[in-house]
Amino acid sequence: MTAGRIQFWAQPAAVLLIVGGVLVWVFSGELTATERSTLNATSLLTALKDHLLMTVVVTAIVVAVAVPAGIVATRPWARFLAPVFLAVANVGQAAPALGVLVLWFLITGASGGLWVAALPLAFYSLLPVLRNTIVGIHQVDPSLVDAGRGIGMSASGVLWRVELPLAVPLILAGLRTSLVLAVGTATFGLFVNAGGFGLLIDTGYKLNLMKVLVTGSALAAGLALLVDWAGAVMEHRFGPKGVR
Amino acid sequence: MNVLEYVADRWDRLSLQAFLHVSAVVQCTVLAALLGVAIGVAVYRSPAGSALATALASTILTIPSFALLALLIPVFGLGADTTVIALVLYALLPIVRNTIVGLGGVDPAVSDAARGIGMSRFGVLTRVELRLAWPAILAGMRVATQMLMGIAVIAAYAKGPGLGSEVFSGLANAGSANSMNQALTGTIGVVVLALLLDGVYVLVNRFTVSRGVRG
Repeated sequence: MTAGRIQFWAQPAAVLLIVGGVLVWVFSGELTATERSTLNATSLLTALKDHLLMTVVVTAIVVAVAVPAGIVATRPWARFLAPVFLAVANVGQAAPALGVLVLWFLITGASGGLWVAALPLAFYSLLPVLRNTIVGIHQVDPSLVDAGRGIGMSASGVLWRVELPLAVPLILAGLRTSLVLAVGTATFGLFVNAGGFGLLIDTGYKLNLMKVLVTGSALAAGLALLVDWAGAVMEHRFGPKGVR
Repeated sequence: MNVLEYVADRWDRLSLQAFLHVSAVVQCTVLAALLGVAIGVAVYRSPAGSALATALASTILTIPSFALLALLIPVFGLGADTTVIALVLYALLPIVRNTIVGLGGVDPAVSDAARGIGMSRFGVLTRVELRLAWPAILAGMRVATQMLMGIAVIAAYAKGPGLGSEVFSGLANAGSANSMNQALTGTIGVVVLALLLDGVYVLVNRFTVSRGVRG
């Protein structure tokens, strides 16, 4: 069994155990009125919705920016762009996510919201998809590209029907990493009024309600593990069959 | 007041925060290296053990840092303990993985030769295998350090030491004159310190990797 196989089976079990255990612990005992105002189905679902929305928007921005940028950077006429793009994405990942988020929040006038959170978090999560798109297209055997051109395919035909399909497994691996970064950093959404499970953590911390804090942390951890697992399933399912 | 004036004006406090930030990250990396290499040494001969250790460390890394930090607060309280535990846990994956890969990559013929000239199992491990695996372990520590520099920013939430408190003050004072300076100082400060530490790793690599391995 490889580490990947163990995680594939153990991770959903761990999620069930953590989230289920915490929910049973929290809701089996008596809750005070202040605890009830946060620990109810409506606010938990709102936090889940906000958290997922942030993750999805960040991932969508990452894919929409990084995949085309990666494709452009591998075209013969734009090869010089690859180091530039990679340097920008490297800066994004090296900078602390929370610092970039707070900076953007202050620059945009300290009002916050989903989009204020999404842009800096996407900047932070960009590198894995960009790097893997570039590497994925570069590692395609040049003789395959030549063969494609040789049977009369156009340059864009070769890109769409030869290079990209062969790069998909690596792009998906990068996407999984970006997804995990996005779902993890989405816990910071609360700092810029974008909600998410971080809000429960913060409420519990500020009002000294340990049940709220633990619920928020457990749900955030559970969701991240679940998203990582979904990424593993996606990598397995959507890679082109011939390349597996 | 622009950022440079701000930094010059608050130099005493900022330099202390910068020092504490680097000091926390370096100490936690060293702790994680001791722990991670011990785990790696314990499991690298068994494929199942290696897979289990890697899977566990990788699962820890998947947990959002803010969530892990918050989970530790009820148990270990606010401050240094919580910060150290969270940082060490996050640093484990790259170190454990690279230790396993590094030790697994040692040519068995070399270990056999070492046994053959009469070295004990422990001697082979410490004087041959770990030295050959050291470049990989060091590379893992380097990755871990870069990661911890960013995660340590969030530790300020649990009253941990470091430049994160600048970022959080900037957030709390949003709208006031210095909020942008504080957030900029905290963010850029961490990036600059991370670059400096990365340079230190190049030097450490230069001086600790035995010349025969460096190639």
